[in-house]
Amino acid sequence: MRPLQSCWLCLLFCCCSRKNLVFGACFFGVFAVEYFRKDVIAIMNDIITTACKFVTSSIGRKILVALTGACLLLFLVGHLAGNMTIYGGDPGNGVPSWIDAYATGLHTMPAWLLWAIRLGLAAILLIHVVLTLALKIENVNARTQYQKEGTLKATLSSRTMVLTGIMIFCFLVFHLWQLTVNGDPANCYQHIVDAFTSPICSGFYILAICCLFMHVRHGLQSVFQTLGLSTRKVRPLYNIIAVLFGLVVCGAFISIPVAVLCGILK
Amino acid sequence: MANLNLTLKVWRQENAQAQGRIETYKAKNIPDEASFLEMLDIVNEELVHEGKEPIVFDHDCREGICGMCSLTINGVPHGGKKVTTCQLHMRQFKDGDTIWIEPFRAQAFPLLRDLMVDRTALDNIIAAGGFVDIRTGSAPNANNMPVRKKTADAAFDAAACVGCGACVASCKNSSAMLFTSAKAAHLNLLPQGQPEKNKRVLAMVRQMDALGFGNCTNQYECEAACPKGISVDNIAKLNRDYMIACAAEAVGVFA
Ligand code: HEM
Ligand code: SF4
Ligand code: FES
Repeated sequence: MRPLQSCWLCLLFCCCSRKNLVFGACFFGVFAVEYFRKDVIAIMNDIITTACKFVTSSIGRKILVALTGACLLLFLVGHLAGNMTIYGGDPGNGVPSWIDAYATGLHTMPAWLLWAIRLGLAAILLIHVVLTLALKIENVNARTQYQKEGTLKATLSSRTMVLTGIMIFCFLVFHLWQLTVNGDPANCYQHIVDAFTSPICSGFYILAICCLFMHVRHGLQSVFQTLGLSTRKVRPLYNIIAVLFGLVVCGAFISIPVAVLCGILK
Repeated sequence: MANLNLTLKVWRQENAQAQGRIETYKAKNIPDEASFLEMLDIVNEELVHEGKEPIVFDHDCREGICGMCSLTINGVPHGGKKVTTCQLHMRQFKDGDTIWIEPFRAQAFPLLRDLMVDRTALDNIIAAGGFVDIRTGSAPNANNMPVRKKTADAAFDAAACVGCGACVASCKNSSAMLFTSAKAAHLNLLPQGQPEKNKRVLAMVRQMDALGFGNCTNQYECEAACPKGISVDNIAKLNRDYMIACAAEAVGVFA
């Protein structure tokens, strides 16, 4: 029997009784897919072929790096907003710091949501890192070194993206180990103050955030160019936004260990 | 007019397989109205007199329109003065300067000899899609086919690319994005080029990737080194057009 006729038969079958509805619908689905199989395969083929070409092309991978980079930038904003609650409350006089409530709050969200966010962020970071490293390896192989190197315009931050990126990654691993794995949400404030009382720990943190500044300073304006949203008119503006964003975000992050070292937070 | 005495550090390499090296030459008594290539002519004449092999370099029109001359001067293709090497004058240098002269380096530009490299890869990108298939006839009458002034200007600016390859040679990643984007943009912007826009963008980008150029990291060295002032706006446009072309291809808007 031809698939199309089978579809109609199934529909009829469905109508006979309510019990048949489920079976009928299933068969209908199967026959419908069968009938449109060639078209479905053709469409899927086109989409999958193009998608494969996209994610292996130079521009396609750059766009994925830019999109994941933009997500990470948004994460930075969210993370920073959370961290700033450390300045709320008055732990010296027995009023617990707001960050304890914030940390506990984070942990009372449903486990599936918490893990969805964590795994989502991890996936975004993984895509970002794997693609940038792959692109970097290609770039190194595409080039022949000059005996005398000259640079007209490329900024230091743009030329050290992999280095600052790797530094951020190492920091991230340590940071998660120190404050998430070994942390206690209810005692978040005390835990942070204890950690940053060590000048080595604070120094490493500040160094890593300086790397983050350089990364973000090139990265933010780069996102607009990669996504095709840049022209010579607005490019200087994107540069200003990138520097300001970097200064505000990284400055605010660094303020925490500095405040601890200066005894403002204790 | 004071004449210049210079020290040249020149890349010499007999052929693609040979081990290259930097050799030092004295360029004596160079008039400051000489072009950079004329300075090399003078040095070469002396080398020939001494019975030595002259320095091999590419050149043709010597008036900044053919894109054949190259040379990376002190680490910057064309010397970074917004002109081609043939239009670079010795008055840009000071008496006693040491000048490093190297070929346009990139893995996609195999070295042929001394300062001469094979830039066929750029032609291959054009061959993939940098053309219009239909017969467009001879130049139309002015205003026969309305094109916005801004668009016409942008197309004209992109079309100024002479295909020299300085963008590739200056790029820290040896990316050919500035060249490719300029060649794609100047056709994509105009009515004659629009019917094949998506096809052109996909073909040129895929060819560029296949030829072993690096990937753009938005450092804009290319724009700074380009003798024709090609803007990186074209790169942003190519990124945009590539996304659109991929989407069109995925849903089968064109065959
Ligand atoms: C919170 C962490 C991070 C943020 C906010 C971030 C952000 C960004 C942004 C916005 C871009 C620009 C995307 C573009 O248009 O090309 C970028 C590029 C890049 N990132 Fe990250 N990134 C982070 C972590 C990392 C890590 C861990 C690495 C590790 C290797 C890394 C390596 C790179 C590299 C190599 C580039 C390409 C640079 C270029 O195209 O010039 N990033 N990043
Ligand atoms: S874009 Fe500029 S540097 Fe690149 S090939 Fe064209 S003219 Fe030369
Ligand atoms: S020799 Fe023709 S552009 Fe320089």
